Amino acid sequence: MRRIFQIGGEETECWLAHDGSRFVLNTPEGVLPCRLDPTTSPGGFVLRARGLVRDVRLAAGPEATFVHMDGRTYEVGRVDPAERLAGSDGGASDDRLVAPMPGVVVSVAVKPGDIVAAGQPLLVIESMKLETTLAAPRDGVVAEIPFAAGDSFGLKDVLAQLAPEED
Amino acid sequence: MRRIESQIDTNAPDYKANFAAMSARLKEFHTRQHAARFERPQRDNDRLARQNKLGVRERLKLLLDPGTPFLEFSTLAACREYDGAVPGAAVVTGIGIVQGREVAIHANDASVKGGAWYPLTVKKIVRLLDVALENRLPVIHICDSAGGFLPLQHGVFPDRYLGGRVFRNQVKLSQANIPQIAVVGGHCTAGGAYVPTLSDYNIIIEGTGAIFLGGPPLVKAATGEVVGVQELGGAVMHTSVSGTGDYRAATEQHAFSLAREIVSQWKRMPKTIIETAPCEEPYYDPKELYGIIPKDRKTQFDMREVLARIVDGSRFHEYQPDYGTTLVCGFAHIWGYKVGILANNGVLFNDSSLKAAHFMQLCNQNRTPLVFFQNITGYMVGREYEERGIAKDGAKMLMAQGGSVVPKFTVIANASYGAGNYGMCGRAWDARTLFMWPQAEIGVMGADQAANTLADVKIRQLQREGKELTDEEVAAIREPVLERYKRDVEAYTSTSEIWDDGILDPVNTRNALAMSISAALNAPIDDPHYGIFRL
Repeated sequence: MRRIFQIGGEETECWLAHDGSRFVLNTPEGVLPCRLDPTTSPGGFVLRARGLVRDVRLAAGPEATFVHMDGRTYEVGRVDPAERLAGSDGGASDDRLVAPMPGVVVSVAVKPGDIVAAGQPLLVIESMKLETTLAAPRDGVVAEIPFAAGDSFGLKDVLAQLAPEED
Repeated sequence: MRRIESQIDTNAPDYKANFAAMSARLKEFHTRQHAARFERPQRDNDRLARQNKLGVRERLKLLLDPGTPFLEFSTLAACREYDGAVPGAAVVTGIGIVQGREVAIHANDASVKGGAWYPLTVKKIVRLLDVALENRLPVIHICDSAGGFLPLQHGVFPDRYLGGRVFRNQVKLSQANIPQIAVVGGHCTAGGAYVPTLSDYNIIIEGTGAIFLGGPPLVKAATGEVVGVQELGGAVMHTSVSGTGDYRAATEQHAFSLAREIVSQWKRMPKTIIETAPCEEPYYDPKELYGIIPKDRKTQFDMREVLARIVDGSRFHEYQPDYGTTLVCGFAHIWGYKVGILANNGVLFNDSSLKAAHFMQLCNQNRTPLVFFQNITGYMVGREYEERGIAKDGAKMLMAQGGSVVPKFTVIANASYGAGNYGMCGRAWDARTLFMWPQAEIGVMGADQAANTLADVKIRQLQREGKELTDEEVAAIREPVLERYKRDVEAYTSTSEIWDDGILDPVNTRNALAMSISAALNAPIDDPHYGIFRL
C-alpha cells in the first residue's frame, strides 16, 4: 500500500523504504535518501535530507502529523488510499427501492408527489419476523408507491419509485 | 484498516427512545446482578461469621492480583429456578489473573444454602471446567459446600453431565497436564471430597476446612463410631497422617498466599501467537450502543454501527461488501487481537450462507479467531429459496462453522432464532464464550409465531372432531401459550438455565471478548480440516 499524504491542501504519494544501508523516501520526483534522529527533547528530531539538516518537532494524531520546522507548522494529513481511490460512491443511485425478500408492507410514510430527502423513511416492511425501514436513496420526489399497508409483495418487486432526476 | 463511518444521529427521537429503553433494562440488570452477588439474608451472613469463614467475594479478593479484571460467568444463573432462592446457583465461576497468569476459578458460595450443589450449580461448575479444558487454563477450586442438595438429587447426581462430570473433567485436566489447586475452606463431604483429592495441590484451612467421604453423623449412623470433624478429616490429620492434604493453612489469608505461591512456581507455557496490532479504543463511544439497539426487538438495525462501538479504532476491513449483504463479514482488532467477524444484517439467504462458509474457511486458513454477532431470525424460507438449495447452503455454513479449528466467540446481540442460531455459533457449537445482551431473545421461533403455530394445531385438531371455535376460544388457547413463550425466550431464562455464559451490559462486550480471546490463546490451534461440504 502506498501512502497518500495531504500537505497544505495538496496530495502527494510516497513510500518510505530501506535500501539496505539507509532510509529512502520514494516520491513521484524520485528517490530521496533521508534520516530522522531523535534528540533529547520531547518530540524533537533532527531531519537530514537533500544535504540539509533541520531541527524538527513532531506531534502525531490519529488523522494527521504536525511538523514544526523553521518556525512554521505543517499539517501532514494521512489519506486512506483505498478510500481515496474508490472514486465516487458508485455513480447515480437507483431510483427504485426493490424488495430484498418477500414480505408484507407494515406502513407507508409518503405518497406520490411528496418531496423526500436522502435517508428519509419511505415505508416499513416485515419479513421473517423482522421489520425493515426502507429509506430514500437520494433527495427527490416520490413517483410511485405500488403497495399499501397490509399488502404482500414478492422478491424484487418495486416497493417505491422516485421521479427521474433532471439535469 | 478503514474506520466505519457511523450514520447514527444521537439527537434523533428514535435514538433517544432506544437509549432510554436500554438504560431502563440495564438498571434492572445491574440491580439484579448486584443482589445475586451481594444481598443475603442476615442469618446466612451471621452463620458465616460464626463459622469464622470469609465470604466468597472476599476470598476472591485474597486470591486474585489486585486491580486485574475478573471475567465472571453466569452471574444470574438459577435466577428463574428454585423460587429465586439460589442466587448465582450458589457458586462463583470465572477467569481471573493470579500472579500474572490466567486461571479458571470455581468457588462455592457458602452464603447460599451452605454452598449446596443444586442441579444448576453442577451445570455451572461443569461448564467452567469445560472452559478450562478447551482453553487449557489452570483451575483453582475454592471448596466450601454442604454437598449435593438431596431433595433434587436426581438432577445433581446420575446423568452424564451431572455431578460425576465435575470429577471426570478434573481427571481430564490432570491428564492434559493442566494444573489444579483446591483451597478447602469448608467441608468437602462425600463426592465433594474428590475435588481436593483430584487436584494436584490442595490446601486445608485449619479449623474450618475438612475432607471426608462420610461426615460424623453419617459415620455414627453407619458404624456407631463417634468422632469429631477435626479428627475425622481436619487439616492436621490430612496433612500429617493421611497425606490427603498437601498444605495446612493457619488462616484464610495464609491459604490464599500459599495458593498464589504455588501458581507462581508453575512452568509458564507459551501462548498461541495470532496477528495483533497496537490496541486502540473505539473511535465511537460504546455507550451509543444503547441508542442503536432498537427498543422493539423486531426493528432492523445496521450491525456495522454495533461493530463501530466494539472494535479497535472503529476500524473494519469488510469482506465481500456487496455480496450476500444480509451478513456482514470482515476483519477487525479487539484489544489488539485480530479477529474475523460475522454479524447479521438480516435473514440468511443462499448468498449470505455461502459468504459465511467462505469467510470462515479463510479465517481458519490464516488462524484468525472468529467472533459472531447474532441478530438472526433464521434462514430464508419459501419455494424460490428451497429451489435454490437454501438447506444445502445452510449445511455448508454449518460444516464450515462447526468444523472451524480457530477459537470462536458469540454475542447474542438481539434475536437468536431457529437454525440461524446454529449457523451463527449458538451454544451447541462450542463457542469458547457466549454472552447475551439483556434484551436479546433465543428460541426455535418468535413468541408470536410459536403461539400461532400451537394454536393452529389445536384448532385443526378440534375441527377434525367437528368443533368450531369462536374468536374468544382461539384467544383462550393462544394467550397462555404466548405468555409462557415470551418468558421462555427472554435472556433471563437463558442465563438462568446457563444456555449462555452470562448477560452483558453492551459496553462491557469489548472487554469480555478480549479476555475470552486472551484466555483462548492458552490452547494451540489445530490445522484446518472439515467434513464434507454439500456442493
